[in-house]
Amino acid sequence: MSNYVLRRLVLIPATLLVASLVLFWLLFSQPGNAAILRVGSLGSCDECVKNLEQRLGLDDPFLVQYAHWLGHAVQGDFGQSLQNGQDIRPRIRRALLPTVELAILTTLLSAVIGSAVGIISAVRPNSVVDYFLRFVSILGLSIPQFWLATLIVVLPQVWWGWTPLRRDYVDVTDNPMENLRLMIWPALALAAGSSAYVARIVRSSMLEALSSDYVRTARAKGLRERIVVLRHVFRPSLITAFTVIGLQFGFILGGSVIMESIFGIPGLGQLLLSGVIFQDYPVVLAVTMVFGAGFLLISLFVDVMYAYLDPRLRRQA
Amino acid sequence: MSSDSALGELVIAEARPRTWRGVSWLLRFIRTQPLGAAAVVVIVVIGLGAIFAPLLRTTDPVEFGRDVLAAPGGDHWFGTTRQGRDVYSRVLYGGRVSLLIGIEAVAISILGGTVLALIAGYFKGVVDGIVMRIADLVLIFPGIVLALAISTAFGRGLGSLTVAVAIIFTPAAARVIRGAVLQESAMAYVAAAQVIGASPPRIMFRHILPNILPLMIVMASAALPAAILTEAGLSFLGVGVAVGEPSWGADLSGDSRQYFVQAWWIAVFPGAALSLTVLAFNLLGDSLRDVLDPRLRGSKLR
Repeated sequence: MSNYVLRRLVLIPATLLVASLVLFWLLFSQPGNAAILRVGSLGSCDECVKNLEQRLGLDDPFLVQYAHWLGHAVQGDFGQSLQNGQDIRPRIRRALLPTVELAILTTLLSAVIGSAVGIISAVRPNSVVDYFLRFVSILGLSIPQFWLATLIVVLPQVWWGWTPLRRDYVDVTDNPMENLRLMIWPALALAAGSSAYVARIVRSSMLEALSSDYVRTARAKGLRERIVVLRHVFRPSLITAFTVIGLQFGFILGGSVIMESIFGIPGLGQLLLSGVIFQDYPVVLAVTMVFGAGFLLISLFVDVMYAYLDPRLRRQA
Repeated sequence: MSSDSALGELVIAEARPRTWRGVSWLLRFIRTQPLGAAAVVVIVVIGLGAIFAPLLRTTDPVEFGRDVLAAPGGDHWFGTTRQGRDVYSRVLYGGRVSLLIGIEAVAISILGGTVLALIAGYFKGVVDGIVMRIADLVLIFPGIVLALAISTAFGRGLGSLTVAVAIIFTPAAARVIRGAVLQESAMAYVAAAQVIGASPPRIMFRHILPNILPLMIVMASAALPAAILTEAGLSFLGVGVAVGEPSWGADLSGDSRQYFVQAWWIAVFPGAALSLTVLAFNLLGDSLRDVLDPRLRGSKLR
């Protein structure tokens, strides 16, 4: 097992290396660059663009630029933003916390809501409640996150003159309660979709377990229905649900980009978006790499936990 | 169904029975999957609206009008925006963008993914390793993050938007279909084809492909709503379609939120159209999966 984890850990930097090369090449071959954009706002002049390009190192050959970038990136230094010359590293460090917080909050919410809905559906399959919950699930999967979030922002304003939006973002380390009061809304909007996935998987794997021999045995020996459902049916399906939640993590990270932009959360998504709009490719590259690294680490964690949670796999390890 | 198409080369005349079979299959689909059939109706209506948008529209969707923020009524069925653009016309034209990009991107990713999957799954070994590692590279990024990065590189416009969406859906399709190809290549009919000297492309496309067709359709119907949502998300963030162009996603950003209290219709109609479309495709996808993929059918009936 530790061997397997070690191999996966080694593979992560290798994957990121290749991915960064491809992305760097993609971004490098774009038509406009940040120098033109920056000069453009001051009034155009070819001389200024040339000068600025030289200063920012934009006229070097591709591999030189990449090697330069990589040499610093492995030390955690992603260079300076082309927009304003600021160091990218501290900006990423600041933006990391809100995004991670949103992702964790969303994951918790979708795990709790998803499992609850899945259990209720599976205990009485094809009942009115089951059909209703399944329909709500499909609805949750179909409503665009950003529309749901928009409605969450504006409808209370129309009805009660109150909105979850706030003027300034409060960091969780400064004031956890104030922070949670804002973060819970984007987390709920994101969880609507992912908890629907979880609910579906929990439902179908519980239905499978319900018709298995060991459940019949459990009932035959006179266990109460509640114990049968929670201990013999729900627990094994929890493992499946766990993997789904893990796989949903990428989806949640992606969705956080949209949520951050709607709720004004200064996270990685906001940083990425500003990088894309200003064609600030060091920023785009850096944030994309952080997202990729985060996702790889999470999937490794999920796989390890999966092996640990499943008694059959645990014995092999 | 899959066994029929595998036998297809041996059966000689079947022109009439085949059309008849199609009709009876359709009737059975409506009977067993009423939600799926309803979804088809909704999709057809939205599709017709998109195709015939130039005939059905009231005013030019990008033209500024004199009626600013007019409520829904006789002149403007869905009201107007802050620039006096007609929301009804914009919803019609927005459907064109959503459906076109969604369908094109999914077609590219399913066809591309299938070709990759056939190559990887049939040749196995080193080829398989290379193709799948490349797919993994794409899969490590959250879809919208990658699409944002790609759109930085390719610039704006419908073409690059389509490419960005197609790139993020191809690897997932390739991975799932490869699993099916691996299963199929272990079957006796593939060995038989190899023995009689059929070339690898022939085996891949004439023998294996028909058997994975149902899976391809299921994958496509699952990817389509996701692709439409990705396009809408990118346009919503302001990096999708060009400024002012009608798109459901773009029309839900900016003004629609700022003016919601005074003019709810700017946000409600495009949002409802988008949700309804995605809902319909999700329902259709579920029914198609039930009908076409026998492996998944069991868990639902029980």
